[in-house]
Amino acid sequence: MLEDYFSYTNEIFDQSRIAEKPEALKGIRVLDLAHVIFGPVISKWLALFGAEVIKVEEPEEGDPWRTASYWAKYWKDSSPFFQSFNPNKYFVAIDLKKPKGKELVLELAKKSDVVVENFRAGLVEAWGIGYTTVSQINPKVIYISCSGYGQWGPLRFFPSWDLIAQSMSGVARLTGFGGKDTYKLPDYYGDFFPGLLGAVSVLAALNYREKTGKGQFIDMTQVEALMRIMHNWSYMDLTGEDLKSTGNVDPTMAPSGIFKTKEGKFVAVAIATDEQFLALLEAMGKMDLAKERRFRETFDRLQPENAEEICKILEEWVKEKTEQEIIALAQGKGFPASPVMDDWRMVNDEWRMERGSVVEFEDEMYGKGIWPVPTVALHKTPARLKRLSRPVGYHNHYIFQTLLGLSKKQVKELEREHVIGYWGNRVGQKPPAYYDMESDSIFNFDQGEKK
Amino acid sequence: MKEGKEKTRPFSRHLVSKVASEHLSNFNRLLTEMMASSEGKPEVLQDIVVVEVGQANFPGIISAAILGEFGAEVIKVEPLEGDPARRVSPYGASVKGVGIPFFMESRNKHYITLDLQSEKGCGNFKKLVSKADLLIDAQKPGWMDSLGIGYRQLSQLHPGLVYVAVSPYGHFTSKAKETCNIPDTDLTGQAGAGYPALTGNPEAPEPFNYPLKAGVWAAAYMSAGLAVAGALTALLHKRRTGEGQMVDVATYDAISSWQGFSLVWGFTFEMPRVRVGNFDWTLFPYGYYEAKDGYVTVAAPADPDFRGILKILGRWDLENDWRFVFDRITDDVEKLKVLEEEFKKEFLKHTRQELVRKTLAYSGQAARDKLRAKGFPIIVETQSPREVLQEEHWQIRKSFFEVELAKNEKVKIPSSVPKMSDSPPRIKRVECGLGADNEKIYEKYGLNK
Repeated sequence: MLEDYFSYTNEIFDQSRIAEKPEALKGIRVLDLAHVIFGPVISKWLALFGAEVIKVEEPEEGDPWRTASYWAKYWKDSSPFFQSFNPNKYFVAIDLKKPKGKELVLELAKKSDVVVENFRAGLVEAWGIGYTTVSQINPKVIYISCSGYGQWGPLRFFPSWDLIAQSMSGVARLTGFGGKDTYKLPDYYGDFFPGLLGAVSVLAALNYREKTGKGQFIDMTQVEALMRIMHNWSYMDLTGEDLKSTGNVDPTMAPSGIFKTKEGKFVAVAIATDEQFLALLEAMGKMDLAKERRFRETFDRLQPENAEEICKILEEWVKEKTEQEIIALAQGKGFPASPVMDDWRMVNDEWRMERGSVVEFEDEMYGKGIWPVPTVALHKTPARLKRLSRPVGYHNHYIFQTLLGLSKKQVKELEREHVIGYWGNRVGQKPPAYYDMESDSIFNFDQGEKK
Repeated sequence: MKEGKEKTRPFSRHLVSKVASEHLSNFNRLLTEMMASSEGKPEVLQDIVVVEVGQANFPGIISAAILGEFGAEVIKVEPLEGDPARRVSPYGASVKGVGIPFFMESRNKHYITLDLQSEKGCGNFKKLVSKADLLIDAQKPGWMDSLGIGYRQLSQLHPGLVYVAVSPYGHFTSKAKETCNIPDTDLTGQAGAGYPALTGNPEAPEPFNYPLKAGVWAAAYMSAGLAVAGALTALLHKRRTGEGQMVDVATYDAISSWQGFSLVWGFTFEMPRVRVGNFDWTLFPYGYYEAKDGYVTVAAPADPDFRGILKILGRWDLENDWRFVFDRITDDVEKLKVLEEEFKKEFLKHTRQELVRKTLAYSGQAARDKLRAKGFPIIVETQSPREVLQEEHWQIRKSFFEVELAKNEKVKIPSSVPKMSDSPPRIKRVECGLGADNEKIYEKYGLNK
């Protein structure tokens, strides 16, 4: 039966057939005024599921993440991380400080279903390209403004980064060993999680618009998104005490922790239920512990002194086992466990390849690479990677001609007036050194005379 | 209010013109009126019925709660003895008879009991799902199918059904089959996504040098967010075509696949990153520093920002050696530690408030700089949750919702995110009694008692 089920699911999710399936968000146009991570990943989701995303950047500079890369290392003259936040998008570069630049952005906004921005709160309003302006020329627009603290309230102008948001929400103090040390959530969780909820709210608004024809304004904040995931608020009210950092123990589960195996690897084990606890005891050959009052029920095990005891017993047991043995027992008996994976192991993980959350992709400009795609598989309308990022202003001609109906001459005129522009001479902004821009038909796009 | 004003004043100066600043205060007023309340506004998913099943699976529970915040009628189906998730809680703290995580995510939910392993329960379930739009299956992969109520069977009955499966390794691939008995938790989800391997101090004594868990449910909430995004994408497709489908989320791959850094790094540099404590791999300074009376958070990675920090700390002498981003972003961590040590010493000389005040004063001046060349260094107090609650901003925005337990006894939970002008998500009620809605829901959907 199980055999049967997985052959059914493997069939419907078959990765080799993705290209022939329809896209859920086809026909939705997104004007992406966003930069860095928080805003761009909202349109990343939309772009992966078929929306047409037009990313507007500042000429010369482009998105600041273009030139940022881990330890300042680049891949084919681009930041591989910038690539991963900006797949399937169109890249135009407009000078928003010029009146004609603003006009151009408003023209694009008029033709868009969704506008995404994450400048400091109020900036787009001050520039005249905010919700109050755009909603007048496009009443059906869904306009999402992303900021640290929101577009209204006394803190609104305060600047934010992922890490500042972690600090202003209280998350910053929760990772560590309960002492003086405190660690950040790595890889910009304070951008990615709020960005994900931003995508959720845009999708919700699209559903609403599909039904009612109405657009709306969305005020997405980093700090409120992080507050949404914390247990601390209720805990403080209930007990009067603070819920502090607890090292590798999850205080909601006992036993739980990250432990060292026989061969010096690390595995995480966490027991949430009585059933899982019995499964673990069976695996450990310590069924007698189940009879002890202090371990019998979940709430008993969660008492700090009991939790500590049972964690110690688990730790000793893991020490005598290999990672493989523990994972095999977790599967055999049914308790939660996982190796602590690392970057390199995950890239080489056959499961992720088979699943399609890591894909090998050949891009026309950048060639072969391995890229992450969200782990969410939709069997009829799957996400797909169609194109990596492009240099600043790469799609100027293509978008302004096909979408705004300008002639090649008119676009050239905008170029001369520096209303639109292209990359500066820095790695990350410009095309890869080997690439022949002169013969690129999209970059030099000419749709000819208007009919 | 006074404190709030003081905090933002220097940063509003970049919005120079008087016209703009007038427009912005009008905008603030408009939004405060338009966004602060959800009362009387329509709901995005008020025509949508969601059924949730699962066994101690919080990504499933949370994603159903979020759909409920957007207005769906969410019916959680539990076995007669209840979902063991009810008993998961920090140190066993309980409220309304359940643990805090379950309580928090009970927003707007309806609870019914059905024995899915009995014929009658199964029949009732089919009846219920046939009227639903969306099913969240957070059981072991294949379990529902073995009872005849998996996607394979239900889609025959109800082709418009969006079926969202949430499990550690997903419902397809050979690995998923091999590991289908392994249940989900946040901690193992973090580990599976390689998240702890990035955190902690490798130089501390054992076991404080181990890979370190994030102190919030980073994996569970990321998984839930992904499940909802997938569900709403599929719902949009359904609204347009009438067609349902299966959506599959692997919780042990949530953080890694959405944040993507690990995979991009691994592919590009063919090795895992080494843990660097509170350093960042891309930005410096970008971290927590100890001041006299607690921690401050510093974000000043661009060259002008960095110079601003040197001015604030009175350490311009360091400028010459660390002038460029590339001096400060290096795989030579030993070299960087020299600068880090200097910074640590300087921060310890000041109180948190002193540092914040100095930075605000600097930024106020920098904002007036015509060339914008002075940067925007940021230093804030690294707040504890208790300190966060003092911030008036969150009260004005109603960022917390109080559940009344008894007279004079209230418990806070975080409000729905985000704020939306026309059809905002909201909390309508928080009840979590096992089978509390049996009568109502059984009758509404014509289930057999």
